[in-house]
Parts: sequence; C-alpha cells; structure tokens
Amino acid sequence: MTSLFSNRKVIAFLVLPGLCIMLFAIAIPLVISIGLSFTKWAGFGKIRLIGLENYLRLFADKTFWRSLYNVLMLILVTVFIQNAFAFIIASILTKLPENRSRILRTIYFIPATLSLVVVTKLWVSIFHPEYGILNKFLHFMGLSGAERAWLGDPHTALWAVIWIMIWQGFGWALLFFYGGLVTVPKELEEAATVDGANRWQTYTQVILPYIMPVLQSIIIIDIISSLKQMEMVYLSTEGGPGNTTQFIALYLYQRAFKYAEYGYGNAISVLFVIIAVAMTLLIQRLFRKSVEQI
Amino acid sequence: MQQNNLYVQKNLIRKVFIVILLTVLVIAQVFPLVWIFSYSIKKSGDLFGPELLSFPENPQWINYYKAFFDGKIPLYLSNTIKIIIPSVFFGTILPFFLAYACTRMRWKLKKLVWLVVIVGMTIPIHTTLLPNFIWYRFFHLIDTHLGLIISYIAFSMSFNTIVFSGLLAGIPKSMEESAFIDGAGYHIILPQIIAPMATAGFATVGVQTFLNHWNEFIMANTYLSSEVKRTLPFSIILFSGQYISDYAVQFACMTLVALPPLIIYFVFNKWILAGVTAGAIKG
Repeated sequence: MTSLFSNRKVIAFLVLPGLCIMLFAIAIPLVISIGLSFTKWAGFGKIRLIGLENYLRLFADKTFWRSLYNVLMLILVTVFIQNAFAFIIASILTKLPENRSRILRTIYFIPATLSLVVVTKLWVSIFHPEYGILNKFLHFMGLSGAERAWLGDPHTALWAVIWIMIWQGFGWALLFFYGGLVTVPKELEEAATVDGANRWQTYTQVILPYIMPVLQSIIIIDIISSLKQMEMVYLSTEGGPGNTTQFIALYLYQRAFKYAEYGYGNAISVLFVIIAVAMTLLIQRLFRKSVEQI
Repeated sequence: MQQNNLYVQKNLIRKVFIVILLTVLVIAQVFPLVWIFSYSIKKSGDLFGPELLSFPENPQWINYYKAFFDGKIPLYLSNTIKIIIPSVFFGTILPFFLAYACTRMRWKLKKLVWLVVIVGMTIPIHTTLLPNFIWYRFFHLIDTHLGLIISYIAFSMSFNTIVFSGLLAGIPKSMEESAFIDGAGYHIILPQIIAPMATAGFATVGVQTFLNHWNEFIMANTYLSSEVKRTLPFSIILFSGQYISDYAVQFACMTLVALPPLIIYFVFNKWILAGVTAGAIKG
C-alpha cells in the first residue's frame, strides 16, 4: 500500500508539468532579473557589468521612495479603513436572513468581477472635469468651488486613485470577512452575552480573536495586492501629475519599457520581490506572536 | 415602561442606520455601471448636459454597432477565447495534480515544492515582466499567444494549488486504497474517483481562473505587440485613442467588454463566493 502513495512515475507525472511551468515563467526570470540588475543594458547591444551601481542609484532615487510612500498609503487605507468598513458590513450581513444577505453579497461583489481596464476607464470618466458625474454632482449641490480635475490635481490625484482601487477591492475584503465570520460558532457569541459583554466587547474580545487567522490572510492579501497595483495608474494618470500617483510596479514598468533601462528596471524588480516576501514574512511573524499571547 | 420605549427607539434608530448604510453601499457599487450604460446610448454631444442621470428618448443603439465593429471586438474576442481555453484548462488541471501529489502522496522533495508554491503566491506579476520579455525572446514566445498562455498558467498555479489542497485534504485515503485493491491504477483513480469528489473545487477554481484571465491586461500589453494578436481589453484602449471625441461609443465599448464576466458571475456566483471563502480560511 505504501507503494501506492509513493509511486515515482505517478508523482513525476503529477508534479513536473505544473512545477516546470512555474520554474520557466517565474523562477528562472527572477534569477535572470537578479543577474541583469548588476548591469547596464538598453535591451540590445552590449551588456555592461556595473556592480551595485543600480542599487546605489535606487536608494537615492526620489521617485522610487515616492512610489513606496504611495504604496504604504494604499496599504494603510486598505488595512485600516477598508477592512474596518468591510468587517462592519460583513457582520451586519451575517445577522440578516440568508436570502437578503446573499443578494447584497452578490451586488457588493460586482465591481470585483470587472476588468481593470473597464473599472479604470469608468472612474476616469466619473472624475472627468467636463462630462464627469462627480463635478456635475458638486455643481448640482451648489459646491461649484470644489469642482476640479480630480486625477490631474496633485492634491487629489493620489486619493482619487486609491478610491478607485478600494472601490474594486472592497468586494473581496467583504467576502473574506464574511467567510471568516460565518465560521464563528453561535454559542461563543451567546456565552459572551450571558457573561455580560456588550456588543463592542463581544466583537473585539471574542469574535475578532476567533477569526485572527482570516484577518492575517486578509492583511497579507492587502499588502501583496497593494504592492501589485499598477494597471489602474498606468491607464489613468501614468503616475502623474509630477509622480504623485507613482506606484512601485508602475515605476518599474516605465523604467524598463518606456526608458529601456533594463539593468535599472531589473534592480527595481529584485528589490520589489524582496519587499513583497519580507512584508509577508513580517506579518506572519507579528500574527504568530499575537496568537501566542492569547 | 419608559426604559422599554427608549430601548425600542434606540433599536429603531440602529435599524434605520443599517438600512441606510447598506443602501448607500449598493448605490456606490452599482450606480457607476448604470451611469455608464446611460451614457452608452446617448449622442456624444448630449454627455455634457447638466443632468446627473437620464436615459435618452431615442436610445442610440448604433453606438453598440460601432463599438462592436470599429472596436474590432470580433478579432479581440476570438484572440481572448483562443488564449483562455487552454489557459483555464491547464491552469485548473495542473494545480489539481500538484495539490494531489502534495497532500496525499509521499515523496522526498515535497516540502521544497510546497515552499515554491507558497512563495509563488507572493511574487508580483510585474517583477517578471521585464525578465520574461528578455527570456521569452530566446524561445520566440514574444508576441505569441503561447507565451501568454504559459504566463497565465504559471501565475494561476500557486493560488489554485492551495485551494485544491485544502479540498483534497478532506477526502479519506481509503477511497484510493479500496480502488487500488480492486486493481485500479492512478489513470482510473484520479479521473473517476477523486476528481468527481472535487467537483466544487473545479467549478470554483475554473470560474475564478476564467475571470482573472479574461480581465488580464498588463501581461498581454507587454508580451503582445502586434495589433492583430491582442486581447479584448484592448478594444477599449483602441477606442480612447481613435475615437477620442466620440465618448458615447467608448461607453458602449466598455459596456460590451464588461458584460461577459458579469454574466458569468451571475450564473456561477455561488461557486465564486464559495471559493473566496475557502481561500480566506485556508490562507
């Protein structure tokens, strides 16, 4: 019977195709990326080895830091504001009758199913200074003074872009929280009420700790997806005005494909992977500690 | 009595507040789509009027006709379909195989391969765009649908493998053992015994993979350079370039591109929602 579960031919047949595709399209390119990050290359002609120069340049690159700052803002907004809101809505939904809750869940998830291109163009139109509905609405409310080119104004561009991202991402956050909340046993909540806990205490001291593993996944997903944001800015502001909506993935893309700086672009890629993996590990460690404390 | 009244009042205020909250959220999530649709059937010149939302008396369905043919939707749609059939098929079946081997079989490098799967989750697609652009040239995969299919499958592996492994862990091992005693090999056990038990997983993973690949933009934008090979989202881009002043047609085009995923979503939403839940709990 042991041989059944350790038949080598079968294992090779099952594992190799998927693994090879991952190695071919993800792992090997990353190794190439590391190699090229020590060079200066325009994509054709001679490749020149320049050691750590790209990395030194990167640390002094203001646009790079600006893009990281923007990612950090996005992470903070998703982790604290979007999640708090999604958590509240999800807990309301768990209290509603199943048919109503299902309809609302279905509606709230609609934006998440749309293509990024559609979502971006949609919001670019809403924010459009001439025919956009946002300015029309402000005008209608008598707030003409607040009308502006939302994506073109350096004061509002970043928040407008973050709003688009949250608008599409909200459905996911809501479903994750909902998925976690339905697993909380009813008795746990009842016991807390019997013990005299009010609603706030029940949620913060009983329910939230119970769904800690779900919260951990949500935060990791938030961080990874914030780091990955680029299509929306690429299709709306291209990082402008004046790099105020620059995001790390977009900056990498522009350096590589707009300015043909393959060496520098790869250095950004490498640092980008390191940041993504490091942040994931960090969050996991933080949560492990908080779980131990409980 | 008075206290009771106060309690009732407080409860009522809370209920009203909740209803308002949920309604505002419905409007926020749905209104933009209704608005887009209303613009898509207007004349371009009418978009600049002051009204917030209105439907024209004589809808300009011709906008859709223009969007469909001038946006080259038949061409882009056939490209997307050509790519999506193999990418969804292999992007579902290969993770199933990998998850099976990782959860139920015993072999030396299992832990290492599982680590690759987990780390794969955290790698942003964008970090591979540039190196792949260079690497694919060696294999003449740039500007081919095959190159894109391979990338799509690769980036579906991690998440889908994790979803399947959560599902497979719940199936008792005696299922295979008894079949094996009856003389069945893996070529029978996998498709005839295990796969049917994982139908829900296949539906979830399949639909999600479909939506991801249908909507994917940046890899297609990077690896495909010839106009005739591009995928559906490009019809919108094409329009914003060529019909720069014909806004209404752009809106019609957006509606057309958004429609198929919406239909798929409404038909299969039970599976999508189940999959998200499974993903959240497994982490």
